[in-house]
Amino acid sequence: MFRDDPPALELRGLTKRYDDGTLALENFDLKIPAGAFFGLLGPNGAGKTTLISAVCNLLRITDGEVLVFGEPHDTLKARSWVGLAEQDINLDRFLTVKETLAYHGGYFGMTDPDSRADELIEAFGLQAKRDVRAPKLSGGQRRRLLLARALMHNPRLVILDEPTAGVDFELRMDLWRYIRQLHAEGTTILLTTHYLEEAEELCEEIALIRDGHLIARNSAEGLREHFGVTKLTDVYVKAMAS
Amino acid sequence: MTGLVWLCRRETLRVSKLWTQTVLAPVVSSILFILVFGLSLGGRIRQVGDVDYEVFIVPGLVTMGMLQAAFANNASTIFQARFDRYVNDVLSAPMRPWQMSFGFTIGGIVRSLAIGLSLIVLSLILVDVPITHPFELALAVTLGLVLFASLGLVVGIYAETWDHTSFIQNIVILPLTFVGGVFYSVDVLPSPWQELSHFNPVFYLVNAVRYGFLGESDVSILLSLAVTAALAIPAYAWAQYLFTTGKRLKS
Repeated sequence: MFRDDPPALELRGLTKRYDDGTLALENFDLKIPAGAFFGLLGPNGAGKTTLISAVCNLLRITDGEVLVFGEPHDTLKARSWVGLAEQDINLDRFLTVKETLAYHGGYFGMTDPDSRADELIEAFGLQAKRDVRAPKLSGGQRRRLLLARALMHNPRLVILDEPTAGVDFELRMDLWRYIRQLHAEGTTILLTTHYLEEAEELCEEIALIRDGHLIARNSAEGLREHFGVTKLTDVYVKAMAS
Repeated sequence: MTGLVWLCRRETLRVSKLWTQTVLAPVVSSILFILVFGLSLGGRIRQVGDVDYEVFIVPGLVTMGMLQAAFANNASTIFQARFDRYVNDVLSAPMRPWQMSFGFTIGGIVRSLAIGLSLIVLSLILVDVPITHPFELALAVTLGLVLFASLGLVVGIYAETWDHTSFIQNIVILPLTFVGGVFYSVDVLPSPWQELSHFNPVFYLVNAVRYGFLGESDVSILLSLAVTAALAIPAYAWAQYLFTTGKRLKS
């Protein structure tokens, strides 16, 4: 990555007020450099999923601007650069594992997605399930497929919304390995998680958000220093209480 | 355009994977109507105008089977996609709104055409129904499918439960179809029912299709096509508006 590269993600004054009046994000500014491994931490309702949904064109933003590698987020180019693994399992019940990946690739403009789909099926250990439809997969297999789908079209920015929520230790370690490898290959990662040790283990930089506002942003070490504590848990408690 | 092609493939795949439910069942029920109503009642009602009764009901049954399939398919596909939230995979993809609405419309059209063609072939074998004006028939079918496929999408986008989609199907579309002249000519109805039939949009569609098959219609073919087009265009525009603005699809 070069100093002149546009940020992978830039939010300028992003505001989202839902139809019921809830203000989920207010005048939110954030810049994530290209190639970063960036963590977003905050309690339920802090605005993490709203932020992600805004970037991925899954909600109507009230105000502000979202740029992906310098392009407005709703352009076709910017959309093709983003891969999203949502927090909830949202797989197409009519498609098999192979079809899930191939159709996703097709939606994202891949003319011949078969070989990439096969590659990911192997990488995520889903060979035995390639012709099985999503509802018949186990929870762990669905989680793997969700991540594989997000990577299918080789996105430059991968957004992972609590990818390890509710998964067992072994799968969590597997997912960490995939995500680390992805980052090592130059992909920018935006990760939201409730697990502080996960954020500390994986992320180069962490932002703490609460009630739709950015509270603090730094490396795990920098946050500990800033809040004068020795553990990230204490940082979190102090930041959320302030 | 690649995204659109794959979305069309996905919608067609859904229809073909469930073919016994999506195509076979409506074809069997329409054929039963021809056998039960046409061939049995045909002995009592020999002709409507110059046409044998079992032939007279075929265009209406083809219309009924196709428009119900177009509506039901699209209402269920988009509602299911919203309900399971895999619609997000399409909404976040690099596709234009018109490509998304067109792609989601295709499944209902493919399913309806499969039903319509099957019924035409079976009707040719069973009652030798003629096709006297193929161009008008194709135009009427196209407009009818656009109208009901788009309505299906709109209802599936607004629906909050499965009951909402089946309510519209069973309480609005099915009754309008039955009183739209599928089984009779409105000429035989007493006043005011005959006049009221002219406020039923399905009446014009049934008559346009009947003209295409038999060359006979209760109203002018131009009026039938114009009324159907006047409804189909705003229905398609409504579906398109929902995808363009994200209303009801995005929070």
